[in-house]
This record gives sequence, structure tokens and C-alpha cells, in this order.
Amino acid sequence: MSDGEIRTDGGTTSTTARLRRNLDQLTVEDVGLYVVLAFAAAFYLVPIESGLVTSFKTGIAIVETAPFAPPGPSGLTLEKWQTAIDALLRGMGNSLLYAVPATVISAFVGSITAYGLTIPTWKKSYKAVVLMLIIAGIFIPYQAVLVPLTQFWSQWAQLDQVLSFVWALGIDNDYVGIIELVITHVAYGIPICTLLFRTYYKTMSEEMIESARLDGATLRRVYRRIVLPLSGPMFAVVLIYQFTQIWNDLLFTLVIVSTESSPAAPVVLILAGLGSSLEGQDFALRMAGAFFAALPTLAVYIFFGEEFAEGVAA
Amino acid sequence: MLDFYRRLYRAIRPSSGDDEAARTDGGVVSDGSAADPVEPDRDATARLKSALDRRFGSDFMESSIFWLPPFLLMGLFVYGAVIWNLLISLTDYQRFENAPDYSNLDFEMYTRALADSGFIDAAVNTLILLILFTAGTLAVGLLLAILIDRGIRFENSFRTIYLLPMSLSFVVTAQFWLWIYNYNNGIANSVIGTFGLGPVSWLGNQDIVLYAVIFALMWQFSGYAMVVYLAGLRAIPREHYEAAKVDGASTLKMYWRVIIPQLKGATISAAVVLMVFGMKAFDFLYSLAGGYRPPNGADILATKMVREAYANLNWAYGSAIAIVLFAMALGVIGPYLVYEYRRDNL
Amino acid sequence: MATLELDSITKTFQDGDEEIVAVDDVSLSIDDGEFLVVVGPSGCGKSTTLRMVAGLETITAGTLSIDNRVVNDVKSQDRDIAMVFQSYALYPHMSVRQNMSFGLEESTDLPDDEINQMVSETGEMLGISNLLDRKPSDLSGGQQQRVALGRAIVRDPEVFLMDEPLSNLDAKLRAEMRTELQRLQNDLGVTTVYVTHDQTEAMTMGDRIAILDGGELQQIATPLECYHEPANRFVASFLGEPSMNFFDVTLEGDRLVGDAFEYPIDEGVRADLGDATDLVLGIRPEAVELVDEDGDHEFETTVDVVEPMGDENTVYLHFDPDADPETAATLVATIDGFNRVSEGDTVTARIPEDAIHLFDRNTGEALHNRSMENAADQINL
Repeated sequence: MSDGEIRTDGGTTSTTARLRRNLDQLTVEDVGLYVVLAFAAAFYLVPIESGLVTSFKTGIAIVETAPFAPPGPSGLTLEKWQTAIDALLRGMGNSLLYAVPATVISAFVGSITAYGLTIPTWKKSYKAVVLMLIIAGIFIPYQAVLVPLTQFWSQWAQLDQVLSFVWALGIDNDYVGIIELVITHVAYGIPICTLLFRTYYKTMSEEMIESARLDGATLRRVYRRIVLPLSGPMFAVVLIYQFTQIWNDLLFTLVIVSTESSPAAPVVLILAGLGSSLEGQDFALRMAGAFFAALPTLAVYIFFGEEFAEGVAA
Repeated sequence: MLDFYRRLYRAIRPSSGDDEAARTDGGVVSDGSAADPVEPDRDATARLKSALDRRFGSDFMESSIFWLPPFLLMGLFVYGAVIWNLLISLTDYQRFENAPDYSNLDFEMYTRALADSGFIDAAVNTLILLILFTAGTLAVGLLLAILIDRGIRFENSFRTIYLLPMSLSFVVTAQFWLWIYNYNNGIANSVIGTFGLGPVSWLGNQDIVLYAVIFALMWQFSGYAMVVYLAGLRAIPREHYEAAKVDGASTLKMYWRVIIPQLKGATISAAVVLMVFGMKAFDFLYSLAGGYRPPNGADILATKMVREAYANLNWAYGSAIAIVLFAMALGVIGPYLVYEYRRDNL
Repeated sequence: MATLELDSITKTFQDGDEEIVAVDDVSLSIDDGEFLVVVGPSGCGKSTTLRMVAGLETITAGTLSIDNRVVNDVKSQDRDIAMVFQSYALYPHMSVRQNMSFGLEESTDLPDDEINQMVSETGEMLGISNLLDRKPSDLSGGQQQRVALGRAIVRDPEVFLMDEPLSNLDAKLRAEMRTELQRLQNDLGVTTVYVTHDQTEAMTMGDRIAILDGGELQQIATPLECYHEPANRFVASFLGEPSMNFFDVTLEGDRLVGDAFEYPIDEGVRADLGDATDLVLGIRPEAVELVDEDGDHEFETTVDVVEPMGDENTVYLHFDPDADPETAATLVATIDGFNRVSEGDTVTARIPEDAIHLFDRNTGEALHNRSMENAADQINL
């Protein structure tokens, strides 16, 4: 029986149990647990760490030192970072140019859609059909829409011509790709943003909404004055998740902007071809480029890890 | 199985009759909003409105302003495009023709696919990748979640580290793994070298490369599975652990017989998401190869589709492959959505 | 100010292929300025009824009129009603003042300073003037309750609807708010429908109470009528704590024959019963007397348990001293707190004939109730 009690404590997260464990000698089981966890942590970090140290290495140091060991003083160089930044900086700007508006718009649209599909009362069975179609949209492999998408942007919606007055201002007309990317990402971002907001709105107090309706507020006013001001936490989650997804996506940029030499090329597109040439692969340059391109999402992850985890889990 | 799809069909069917879905289908024409007739007679609109409200629920009309436009936009880009894609796959559209010729539709592209050994290989590889990647990632994620849920210290730090790769772009992680799998200087070979094995040409050997890719993808997504399982574990009342202990179950037995069965919901939703991620692994393979052709032996439907369409300009053939991929995805998502609907979880 | 009329209101829900009747043909008519309490066990349809009046649920059948205007298809925001919810449903991101102004801003064209004025006055009336700039999360449960009330009052609606508004408060606060709510309703004179499962609230607050069970209206009457002249066995057992004693009896001539006793009845009572012979005899615990004399309505009993409540004692009596206490017929009596009896004592219990209720055992319908005059006499004693 006493054996059972001790074990039960080992399973709880209560502070007393933690304190007692700290005071007691660590059991073999505990040590084993931490060793496994540390190994796992190493497994997840080593590829990133070795990439980081490699990005600072000279060509000779890459061959001579272990991949995960830091370079010696003689093998240290910032040259690769310099090159990577030079190559990717314009891509970073382009990426921000579509990722930020697309993120903000899709989050906002998702919030409105989720509101319309969650708070107002209309028949559940009809709602379910709309919701199923929307949620299925999250899981569609984008390959299934690529060719029509290309057709749509190149043959049907001739944004290029509509915006000719913009190109007259001296902006390269490749930037039409940025606008197409914004619209595309918003359209395909609606499902996931809607789902995330819906899980949040489902937890909102029904009585509060009913109370607002009885107070004479229309649906639009309820959204504007009650739901939207209370959506702050979920906006944080959705903005962070969407930004990461849009920034990281390669496929759409590939078919819409297509060439890395385009002045409007996003960072992922340039990075995909960076450091490979006829003479072989320059790994230090690749690593420096990878890190530079990942900086915005890494920063977001480090500062808003909780929100990211929440977005991922939903 | 057939019964399942029949039920799914029945669940979705009500929409196919009304004009909403018709608009979505015809949605390839960018002007979808014109379908809403504006009645000059005020009375008639009011009557129509109340008739719709009676049929669909009291807030239907008033709420449609919120969800209908985004729903139509999404429907246009997702379902409109899929249907269009299906049409294109029935043409012979290729090269620098401006638009497909829709006058002569046949299944030629699908018969061509069945005769194409490259397609069969890619399909097989896709299945292997889906099954191994999903199963492996779930197993690792579950293990990590259970370990982290044991009330350890620094729980947040461990969790942050495990989830870190998930925040990175496929393009970025591909660079890391390219370096790890490097024949001469990569970590993978130096690790197995300490056991006196290797060196192995991870990305060059046709029999190994797919598994190397799966391993890299597991690295990136097992943190995701962990987060989902952790949420599932946290939802299980502590009493269940304690009751199992009092009943004399060993730790292993407790997890196997009491805890893991309760994670069914988490497993299903994580598996669906992972399979979809697996089908989208294009970004990773493209970046690994630095081009449309992935390493030999690692070609999957997602990469083959893009290569056929955008590198070889076989648009119709690419579309046909895309439809096969879409059908595979539907086979996973359809039952999942019905399952969620049954549990009232939509 | 308005009258409220529910005419054969019915609500059914569709659950899969099954149709669930939540409210079954309920008709109520509420006078201008009346305080009606709707009471019943959980799941009896009382909240659904209230929500139909509010317009939050559609009405399946029947008509609902406010001031003789049929409002079945009128949206809730156009019915000129205010509702206080169990959870208070305050808007967490708004200050108390904003919470209270919200309804006026949304439903009227009043200028801001007039709204402010009204909010301040209402705040004063409720004694929450000093809280107007705080957020709901900074308030105690009782204060939140007052804000929720204030939010309803400030709108000066035709009808107040209250859905168990006091159930989240602790016992002491609940008693205070009960009195205060009554006073407020009296002062404002607004027609009020108040839903509760708490019979104390029902008995003390309402001008009339409507008792629901299984979606059906059991009785609507003043609290005292419901208590002393229950329409059926359900009402009799639902009101009163400890609950009324019930004994299955059969009418044989002029005697009621039960398992544990025989009880003679006089002509007047007998006449009320008609042809029914399978009956249930009901007697309120406080009507049972412990006496020192013998007679037809006095029974020798054994004290099984005594529960002292301070001012009074609840005693559980058995008719047969040898019977198994688990299964034997028990008579519960409420007696004066100074009347010392202890477990095992043999006492004589009187079941006064003018205090008995008789119900049809099959339909539950009340055939004979104690007369109100007699009840009043007894209270005066």
C-alpha cells in the first residue's frame, strides 16, 4: 500500500510532490527519465546547432572539424553570413510584403467567418455542411489546385493589366506576384483561421451573447462590441500560426513567382537554390542562409511559443 | 468501408441541390456574387428572407453576411479549383498552349499514369511515407508526451525544444538535413561511424533515401504529435492514474490499458494532420534537391505532380496526378470529418 | 408595463429521430406588474419556457402575447424585455457603467449624457454607484449580481425575465437579495417572470407561483394556495421541507385502510372522494401533533430518529415498534424544539382530520385538501 502511495506522488505535478522529490534522493527511474529527455532534446537541437556552427566556418574548417563542433579561431568567418544576407535581404523584404498583409487579412476574415458560423443560431445540420466543407479545405493537398491556380492568375484574372498604372510608377510588374500571393494565402488560410477562431468562440458564454441580443444589439454590433474585443488572445494565436505558415510556404511562391531571379522573389524561393552551384554545395553558405531566412519565424517562436503551441494543437 | 462513404455522401449531399453549391461549382467565373437576385419588390424580399430564416434558423439571413463571402472565396479557390483541375486532367493540355481544349475529354491521362512506372513508384513511395511517417511520428510524440507528463522539472523548456523544428520552414530544415546526410562530413555518418558502420550514402542510395527523408520529417513533426498527446493526457483525470495504481497495475500496464485507450481522439486527429503534412512534403524534397527532381527513390506524388506540370509542362498529366493525390487525401479526411460530426465536434 | 399571456405554448426538440417535448401545452396569464415565479425540478421545462418568452428559443406551437400583441415571430431585441441570467452574463471587457449603458445605446437613440444620467440613477438605487468604473472581474459575486440587475432595470423594459439569478450566491447573500429583489420589483412595478428550482424563493417572492413538471403546468396559484391546496400529489410533495407524508390507503366504507393503520373519515371528506377507492393520504409534518390522549386519529408510534433543528425538531416515527426501520412506514413530524423526545420513546401522534389531503393514487390528482380557513386557524394558534 505504501509503495502505491509513493508512486502516486511520483505521477502528480503538485508542488509538494516536486519538493519532496527534490529533497529525497533521486531514484534510478528519475535519473533515467531525465537522461532520456536530455537525449531527446539533443536529438532535436543537434541539426539546428550543427547548422549554426557550420554557418560560421571557413571551407577548410568544414572539412577538418566535426560537424557539430564550433570552429577554431582560424576557421571562424562571417563571410558566409555576409553573402547570405546580401542574397536574401531583398527576399526577406518581399516575403514580409505578402506575409504580413496575408496574415492579418486571413486572421480577420477567419474571425468573421467563425463568428457567423458559431454564435448566431441557425440549423445545426446546415451549419455542419458548411463547416465540413471549410474544414476539409484545411486538409486539401495544394497540388490539387495548382494548375487551375496558375491558369486563374495567368489567363483569367489579368491583375497584371489591371494594375498597369502601378507599374507606370516605376515598380517592377513582377510585384503582381506579391498581390496574387496575398489573395491566394488569404483564400487558403480561411479554413484554418476559421477553425481556430471557432474553437475559441465555442467557449464563449452563450448567456453573454444572448444578453447582448436582448439588449437590442444586432449581430453586427454583437461582433463589433462584444466578440471582437474579447478575441484578443485568439488573434495572437492565429496571427502567429498563420505568419509562420505563410512565411514558410514554398509551393505557392514557386508556382506564382516561379523564378528566384525575379525582383519579387520571396526568401524561401531564393534560399531553395542558395549555395548549390556546379562546383558543389557550399554548406556554410546554405546554413547561414537557412538561419537568416528562419530568423523571423524563430523570433516569433521564441517570444510567442505558447501561442504557437496552442495554434498547432487546435 | 463502402457504407462509410455512402454515409459521407449523404451527409454532404444536401448542399449539392441548392444554389449555394452551384455557385461554388460555377465559381471559376470570378463574378460569383451576381447570382443573388435583387428583388425590386420589397415585400417579396422580406418574404423570401423570412422563408429562408424559417428553413435554416432564425439568424440565417442576418449571419450570412459574416460567413458567406469568405465561404464563397474559399469555395472558389478550393472546390472550384479542384473541379477545374478535374476538367483539365481530362484534356490533353500541355506545353505552351494558352488554355486547355475542353471539347475533347477523356481519361487518357489516367491510363497514361497507370502505364507510367514512375507514377506507380511515386504512388508506392507516397503510401510508404504516409504510413511510416505517421506511425513513427505518433509513437515518438506519444513517448515524449508521456515522459514530459510525469511531472518533470523544466517541462516548458523541454516542450519548447521538442516543438522548435515545427516552427521552421521545410526549406530551412532541408538545408540542415542535407548537411547531416552529407557523405563526407555529415553527422549521420560520423554517428554510425563510431559503431564501426558506414559511411552510407543517405541521399544517393535509392533503397535508403526514402527512409532518410521519413526520419527527417519525423524529426520535424514529432513535437507536434507530442503537443497533441500532451493536451489529451492533461484531459484525463488524475484519478484514473491513481485508480490504476491502487488496482495494482504496473506503470507500463497502466499506460497501455488505462491511459492510451483514452487518447483515441488525440491519435485520430494527429494522424489525419500528419498524413496531410506527409502528402505536402513537396517543399522538403524540392529544397533537398534544389529543384523539381527529388533524389532517386524518393519521388512521391506531390513532387511528381509539380514536376510534370511545371518542369515538363505536361499540365493535363500533372492535373491527373493531382486528382489521384486529392482522392487519397479525401480517403483520409472524409471519414475523419464524419467521425468528428458524429461526436458533435465540428 | 405589460401583461404577458402564454396560450398553449409547446416546445419540442428534435434529437436524432426522436422528438422530445420540453414544454407541453402551457398556458399562463400574467397580470400587469405581477411577480410570477416559475418553479420545478431541473429539466421540467421552466428555463425553456422563459427562453421562449425571451425569444431565445422558437415556439413550436401556441401563441405568446405581450400586452395583447402576438410576439411569436418578433425577434428578442424587439420584444422590450430584459433578462437577468444565472451566470449574470456581464461583458467582461466593459466597465460596470459600460455594461449598464450597452442596452440603452443599442436599443434607443438617447443622447450619451441622458444614458449616463440613467445609469447613475440606477446605480444609486442599487447602491453600486462606487463600482461604476470597475470591471466585472474586480467585483464580488453579490456585486456582479447587482450589476446584472441594474443592467436590466436601467432599460426600463415591459417585462423582466430572471433565470435563477440568485443560485450562484451563498446562502446568506441569497436571503438578502431575495428581499431586495422583491422590494425593487414592488417599487418598479414591472411585470416579472422569475425562474427558480428553489422552493423557498418560490414561496417567499412571488405573487403567484407556477409549478412545472415534465414540461406540463401542474398548478398556478398564490404560494399559500399551492402549499395548502395542492392540485396534485406532485405539487404537494414538491413544496414543503420536510416533504409531506404520503401513505397508500384504500377506502373501505368510511375508513381509510393502510398497511400500518386505519383512519376513519367523516361524511364531508368522504363526499369529496367520489368513486375513487385507491388513494394516497397526505399529511404535512407540521400538522402532525404529539398528544397525550387516545382517539380514532391518534396512533401509538415509536420514535426512530430525532433531528434537532433548533427552534423545532424533526422526528421520524414508526407505527410498528417491531418493524424493520428500513422498510416500515415512517411518519415525519415537525414539533416544537423544546418538546423533548428521544429515540426509542413511544409517543402518540395525532393526524388531525382537518389537515389531511387525499389524492387519487392512479392520477395523482388531489380529491380532498385541507381547507384554507382551517390552515389559517392553525397558523394563528
